[in-house]
Amino acid sequence: MRIFNHNIVAIVALAALAITTTSCFKDEPLNAECDIEKAWIHADNLNEMFYSATDTLVTVFSTDTKIVFTMRDDADITAIAPQFTITDGATITPANGSVQDFSKGPVTYTVTSQDGKWSRHYTVECNRLARFTTEVWNFDFEHFELDPLYHQFYVWHNTLPDGSLGDDWATGNLGFRLSKSFAKANEFPTVVLEQGYDGHGVLLTTRETGPLGMSQGMPIASGNMFLGKFNVAMALRETLKATEFGIPFEQKPVRLSGYYQYHPGDMFIDKNFNEIPGRIDAGDIYSVLYLNHDEEGNPTVLYGDNVLSSDLIVAVARVNDIKETNGEWIYFDVEFEYKSDIDIDLLASRGYNLTLVFSSSIKGASFEGAIGSQLKVDKVRLTCETKE
Amino acid sequence: MKRHISSVLAIAVALSAWCIEPVGTPSQTAGLKGDLMAATLSADDDNDKDKKHDDDNHDDLKNLKKFYHNLEGYGRLGYSIGGTAPLGIPAEIRKLNKFILQPNVSFGIDGIKPVSKNWGILVGIHFENKAMHIDATVKNYHIKFTQGGQTLEGMFTGHNDSHAVQWMFTIPIQATYKISNKWRLKFGPYFSYLTSANFDGFAYDGYLREGDPTGAKVFLGHTDEERGNYDFKDDIRRCQWGMGVGVDYFFTRRFGVYADLNWGLSGFFKGSFKTLDQTLFPIYGTIGIAYKIK
Repeated sequence: MRIFNHNIVAIVALAALAITTTSCFKDEPLNAECDIEKAWIHADNLNEMFYSATDTLVTVFSTDTKIVFTMRDDADITAIAPQFTITDGATITPANGSVQDFSKGPVTYTVTSQDGKWSRHYTVECNRLARFTTEVWNFDFEHFELDPLYHQFYVWHNTLPDGSLGDDWATGNLGFRLSKSFAKANEFPTVVLEQGYDGHGVLLTTRETGPLGMSQGMPIASGNMFLGKFNVAMALRETLKATEFGIPFEQKPVRLSGYYQYHPGDMFIDKNFNEIPGRIDAGDIYSVLYLNHDEEGNPTVLYGDNVLSSDLIVAVARVNDIKETNGEWIYFDVEFEYKSDIDIDLLASRGYNLTLVFSSSIKGASFEGAIGSQLKVDKVRLTCETKE
Repeated sequence: MKRHISSVLAIAVALSAWCIEPVGTPSQTAGLKGDLMAATLSADDDNDKDKKHDDDNHDDLKNLKKFYHNLEGYGRLGYSIGGTAPLGIPAEIRKLNKFILQPNVSFGIDGIKPVSKNWGILVGIHFENKAMHIDATVKNYHIKFTQGGQTLEGMFTGHNDSHAVQWMFTIPIQATYKISNKWRLKFGPYFSYLTSANFDGFAYDGYLREGDPTGAKVFLGHTDEERGNYDFKDDIRRCQWGMGVGVDYFFTRRFGVYADLNWGLSGFFKGSFKTLDQTLFPIYGTIGIAYKIK
């Protein structure tokens, strides 16, 4: 009987131990994020406000701090009520859907996280854009600054035909930063070329991403620059989806010209960082015009994996054989080759996207190229058809 | 108290003798050991330089034999289950998806010196692995991916797969209380030295906010190249200590089973390691079989 009692004591002791080791899960913490994920404007008189329905909705990336609605140049923007999709539980001021007067300039919205510990500021603006009928678009790479988020790498602004600055140039620098978070501005793949053909140019260099990039299957990063957006959210998961090529374009491009210099790096490597002896890297310069809606009318964008192969492509202008130039500026001038006729009405309603792409390694999208390959570009001209 | 400490030391000495000798029947082992000691001491006698020294040795031998008389020895073979985890699961860890059993063998020997009818002192040496492999769902969890000196740090929401390995020598020093001939309770500290250790894993199927919750949002996928890997091997503390409690149950004179709980009180990582917000403590339970050698 005594032994039985001792058994009880031991069992109780063991049970007590078991209980102390079992911890309970706590209640879910409140959300700490405070993003605007989408912004849109509901307009009853859509055609008086926007050139296209697609322009009423802006998808906001996590790295964006500026939300721009492109509107007709004669739109009344004194009483606009933008609406936002924000992180669950977060709050926004001014209130979501409140009427604002955008004629006085951008309006700053503040989003505060559900847990109250974090907040982000966004500027929202309604950019009334005239229809451009310019014959020649100039891309001179003279307007650049350090990125607004990290103040670490360069970003560029394009000059619009009316002289205002656009935010249409994108690079993969933000993605490169994930592997080399301490890189200096001039150590990124896409940097300012101090002495271009005329003033500043842009210098694209294929860089090694180091052990971290290698572990993600991206041992190199080619220098790239393109008209479009870089979505860093996809940079590690589906890298080719990070480059969203193209901006709405209302004119019919006919030729692409400019100046480049190219120098291939010494050692060509593949995705697994194996050297491929005898293979010489090449640069790439091209422009693509494509339909920005699929057959069902859904907005579509071309990515790194289909920018030159999609069925939506209408025209391509590509500079062939970008090889060693021995330090000389080479003039290029290529025509757009049209695969199908262009629909003028669709063009006017912003139904086409145009991109312009420069890359220091032609196979850079699949992480093949030579470390140190350099492409210098300057004074690029896009000639469009003008209505006679 | 002083006597008890010297007993502990003496048990340790005796244990080290077991480590290098084959295990015979208890009487054989004791006899063999006594002969060995005597042989060693008689070798000293040949030098015959200091008679007093011999006398001392003789007394020592007597004491040792006396000490040895009621010393109990046990061999143990067990299996451990547990985790190297924060005390109290932080709210950022939402769900444990998988707990994969690891080759956590533990084997070793203990000596118990009875100091009264019921009480005794246990000293042992065990070699054991305290490994862990878990998959958890986390929310806004501070994480740092490392690869060859490069890092990517931020707040992660998604799945986290962690794997720890800790091979170590452990010395338990415990008070024992004999409830009956069958049952014994044990309680006391242990000290461990890790001979090999690892802590690595990956975050997957989720997203990282680089830096803080307002930083760039980067999705992580499922494949080897789409996820974020980390390895904190270099930040693991080599020496650990903690408190152990346990119970032995002998169903025959020689064979028994035991259950121990070893609760780490020293952080798993070095103090300089700041990547994880919580301090991790190795907390493992062991069950196994015990054999009374002597």
